[in-house]
Amino acid sequence: MQIIVPIKQVPDVALNIKVKDGEIVQEGISWVISSWDETALEAALQLTEEAGGEVTVLSIGTAKVQEALRKALALGAHQALHIQCDSSAGWDSYQVAKVLAKTLADQDYNLIITGKQAQDSDAGLTPTMLAEFLGLPQVTNITAFKDVSDASITLHRKGDDGIEISKMTLPGVVTVNDSLAEPRLASMRGIMMAKKKPMETVDIHSLGLAPEVLQSGGLMTEVVQYEKPDERKEGRRFEGDETETVPEVMQNLKKNIGLFA
Amino acid sequence: MDSGVNKNWSSGDEKLLLDTIDHWVENEVKPIAREHDQEDKYPEELVERMKELGLFGSTISPEYGGLGLPASIYAKIVTRLSSVWIVPGGIFNTHLVMAAAIERCGMEAQKQEWLPKMASGELRGGIALTEPDAGTDLQSIRTRADRNEKGYLLNGTKMWITNALHGNCLMVLAKTDLTAQPAHKGMSAFLCHKGAGYDVAKKLKKMGYRAIDTCELTLDNKQVVPEALLGGEEGRGLQQVLGGLELGRINVAARGAGMAEGALKMAVRYAQERETFGKPIAEHQAIQLKLADMATKVEASKLLVESAATKLDTGQRCDMEAGMAKYFASEAGVYCAQEAMRIFGGNSYSTEYEIERFYRDSMLMCIGEGTNELQQIIVAKQLIQRNKI
Ligand SMILES: Cc1cc2nc3c(=O)[nH]c(=O)nc-3n(C[C@H](O)[C@H](O)[C@H](O)COP(=O)(O)OP(=O)(O)OC[C@H]3O[C@@H](n4cnc5c(N)ncnc54)[C@H](O)[C@@H]3O)c2cc1C
Repeated sequence: MQIIVPIKQVPDVALNIKVKDGEIVQEGISWVISSWDETALEAALQLTEEAGGEVTVLSIGTAKVQEALRKALALGAHQALHIQCDSSAGWDSYQVAKVLAKTLADQDYNLIITGKQAQDSDAGLTPTMLAEFLGLPQVTNITAFKDVSDASITLHRKGDDGIEISKMTLPGVVTVNDSLAEPRLASMRGIMMAKKKPMETVDIHSLGLAPEVLQSGGLMTEVVQYEKPDERKEGRRFEGDETETVPEVMQNLKKNIGLFA
Repeated sequence: MDSGVNKNWSSGDEKLLLDTIDHWVENEVKPIAREHDQEDKYPEELVERMKELGLFGSTISPEYGGLGLPASIYAKIVTRLSSVWIVPGGIFNTHLVMAAAIERCGMEAQKQEWLPKMASGELRGGIALTEPDAGTDLQSIRTRADRNEKGYLLNGTKMWITNALHGNCLMVLAKTDLTAQPAHKGMSAFLCHKGAGYDVAKKLKKMGYRAIDTCELTLDNKQVVPEALLGGEEGRGLQQVLGGLELGRINVAARGAGMAEGALKMAVRYAQERETFGKPIAEHQAIQLKLADMATKVEASKLLVESAATKLDTGQRCDMEAGMAKYFASEAGVYCAQEAMRIFGGNSYSTEYEIERFYRDSMLMCIGEGTNELQQIIVAKQLIQRNKI
């Protein structure tokens, strides 16, 4: 089983992201693999551990994305493919999907697994467009795999009241929900082994894409501005004996937000 | 300039590795520390993960299945871990001191036999030097190793031996010649598997550094094979044991620095949360002075550790530097834990908070791996020796 996992390197949202003049402040950002993509990689690793085969991770971006690819290799991916470009800032899902589709057009694979959305943009469009461009079937937001072979796979999606089970012929595209698996930690040995694993870098201009794909004209949507949500005000603490604090809290709720009015 | 470490660790690898450690410490170590400490319960669940992560082979060379981490990266791992809980590091520290002795002084067959299994964590070791009546003064140990037709027969009592119960092997320092003068010429180191004649008399009850097994160990006609003699030559045991002390000291220094940093972090947070006289205590100058002193000592400790470790990694002499780092950083650990106790006020005494554990645990770093008094003596001697008039 050959699995492709396209991964996106995103700002670590656990750290404070700053916005200035409608733009995200790049300074001080720590870059990580988007968490859903880590789940996708975990799923791919589990599948190949079970059914044999190899996992190829793939990322588009500047040399910086090699960090993410190297981490993926340390986690257990077998090889990495870096589609190098000067900048992918401002790209929309359509452009990314076009580049991925072109890259994968002549690759051998049974399955493409991605996160159900990226942690930064939260759009969730790229995999669907990719499936469309490649003419492949797709099941999104899956929570479990069953009965894997090179020709088909059974997939579970959890709804509010039950599980939807579908069988998909391969090759195909799957996006994963983070409840599918807890991503593993890179072991120190894995980090050491990763050095010996192949990482191929391909210049984006050598892919033979239609020129307009990479130009701003290739955008279907454009982010014009970023804004930070208003900071939540700190709550107020009522300390002391509850015979005094409880009435005080009630008073406040009535007065300030008109509760129980 | 060669030091046998794997020089292929790039800064990217280092970051990846430390991220992994941070993730593990935050998600798996931190949540269990308090309970295990309070119940004096061995953290078995961490051991499996430590094997997976490769920690038992951290400083063992890649050719024997380890990672060959440079001391500087290893020290950072230890600092991060110790900033949350000092115990898990104890499970691989003396294990790695034993492995380092084998790698440095062992015969090739001994390296082949022991190191790959130690690197994977299949064999988990420690060092048995101290005795009820001999710690700093190791030349006065009484444990003896008498040659017989099957190898050597070990007899004696060892005290304060970490990993003696949950590990499965130890490096034991014993006398092969009771009359040798000077005494160290009659001392030898033995690689010893658990088994008949190796009896853990008791797991010692401790003020701090709880949850890990520190034991009194009786060697009662413990038979070992001739190949158990480290390096295959008698009379070299003390040198073999003391020869690796720089790494051991850097390691204890890193633990001290970690404890200091952990205590500081807690104090910085608490000082902003706790209010007296209408403002957070962090705004009272008396508390600010403490925080400033603590932070300065933390930073200085980390730099001393880094400097000694870098010297070791690049094959430079670092006995004095490792001694300074061990001395300073372990005292910083105690200092910061104590100052944090004061900042926490009455809550410092509550076992609901973690700081009391740091207070109990930190003192060990001043005692283990050569007491701080001994470090001062080493530093002073080196100072004179390097600056003779
Ligand atoms: C929790 C714990 C875990 C340990 N784990 C291990 C282990 O795994 N393996 C192991 O072998 N040991 C271990 N030890 C033992 C530890 O290494 C010794 O306790 C330490 O070396 C000090 O020896 P001692 O206790 O005999 O003290 P002593 O040597 O009796 O020292 C008592 C005091 O005298 C001072 N002193 C001694 N000689 C001199 C001198 N020449 N000049 C000035 N001052 C001097 C010392 O600094 C100290 O203040 C452990 C100890 C503890 C508490």
